[in-house]
Amino acid sequence: MRRLLALLLLQAFGVGLVHAKEQLIEVVVAEPYLEMHSGPGRGFPVVYVVGRDEIVTVLYSRTDWFKVRAPRGQEGWARRSDLALTKLTSGEPAPIPPYPDFATHRWELGAGYGVFNHQNLVTAWGDFGLTDSLDVELVLQQALGTIDNRYIASLGMRHTFIPEWRWFSPTAGLGTGYQYIDDKVPPKPLQTGNQLAYVSLGARGFITRRFMWRADWRKYVVFTNRNQNEEPEEWKFGLAVFF
Amino acid sequence: MEIRLSSVFLAAALLSGCGWFHRGEKPPTQVAAEEPQGEPSIVEPQVNRRVVKTPKIKAKDFELGGYFGALSIQDFGTNPVYGVRAAYHVSEDIFVEGFLGRSRAGTSSLEDVFPNITVVSDTGRRFTYYDLDVGYNVLPGEIFLGRGRAFNSALYVTVGMGDVKFADKDQFALNFGMGERLLITDWLAMHLDVRDHVFETALTGRTKNVHNIEATLGLTVFY
Repeated sequence: MRRLLALLLLQAFGVGLVHAKEQLIEVVVAEPYLEMHSGPGRGFPVVYVVGRDEIVTVLYSRTDWFKVRAPRGQEGWARRSDLALTKLTSGEPAPIPPYPDFATHRWELGAGYGVFNHQNLVTAWGDFGLTDSLDVELVLQQALGTIDNRYIASLGMRHTFIPEWRWFSPTAGLGTGYQYIDDKVPPKPLQTGNQLAYVSLGARGFITRRFMWRADWRKYVVFTNRNQNEEPEEWKFGLAVFF
Repeated sequence: MEIRLSSVFLAAALLSGCGWFHRGEKPPTQVAAEEPQGEPSIVEPQVNRRVVKTPKIKAKDFELGGYFGALSIQDFGTNPVYGVRAAYHVSEDIFVEGFLGRSRAGTSSLEDVFPNITVVSDTGRRFTYYDLDVGYNVLPGEIFLGRGRAFNSALYVTVGMGDVKFADKDQFALNFGMGERLLITDWLAMHLDVRDHVFETALTGRTKNVHNIEATLGLTVFY
């Protein structure tokens, strides 16, 4: 019985191992050698070298570095550009994912600083590209003033005029949202929650790899139940990561 | 001629055999080959194209964890602080990070000397903050422990901003930090951080910038 159990366990473990192995990519070194560094950075020393025609297993990546395992079990970090020169066992080039293309990227996450109606503003956004030039943006922000503290959530569309301009490309947007006012100093505001709409003008640009900047100016119309609507202005600057 | 004919038949038999083995897969799409009239086709290829699916390489660029330490709230003593942190490594040098932390202020010296005076209410003593930071790995390297052990590490600086809620009020705060990341394994890291949260307040009578310095020890997981 115990032997059977052990066998079953071994089998399960073995299957697990095989299964785990199936998930990983094996590449053949096509250049004279592949250097393996002790850490994922340019300054870490080379601790092992794999020769031509030897097979290495790619475990995972971190930024521009890939953790690889040599045939005899030694592990180390290979540079993206070096690993891109290897081949699959079938002879095809190794499927090292390229950087996301800036002009055609889909997703973007960012955060930044701004000023909303003379108040400090902390802003964070998520952005989904419907086309290269048309995005849907969801922005969550907090304006921290001396009198009140506002939370603003907005959803809108943004158009990038010339998406192929990498370093500077103007944008314009339109959207709607909601603000919640948390008062710091009495009296309490007549309305603590208002719907709002905005128009925006801005610009964006590429910095490096998957890093970009974005600047934005917005004019809001805050719908109130008084005779006059509020019309605050906002500008902000932020950094974003795109995928 | 006979040999060629028989080899054609053999190939046909083999291919149909292959087709039999692949019967569980999607049926091959019928390709209407344009045959010249009058010449019947000898072999109808029924081989499926092998779909080779290369597994994706997992990217472990995210870091998630918690920390614990001491926060010196200016004028209100030093108190325990704890929080969670999440980071995304953009390149080997740059990362972006978010913090969510909480502490509780003690009493100010004014309150210690005059026990009847209350500067901050009991609920207002709660000190909570969030930060959004950009970090740069200034000094990456290795730390040696004895002869046979080396840990990857990096000394980094961070700068960012966020919100500090103290004395029942939200204040815009800037923060500046410096820390050491020590990778125990490639997926588990220990952090030693010192961060200053700077904001403007008029709690103790006159408006001034207060520096709230925290020193924390954290543990994060890369995934």
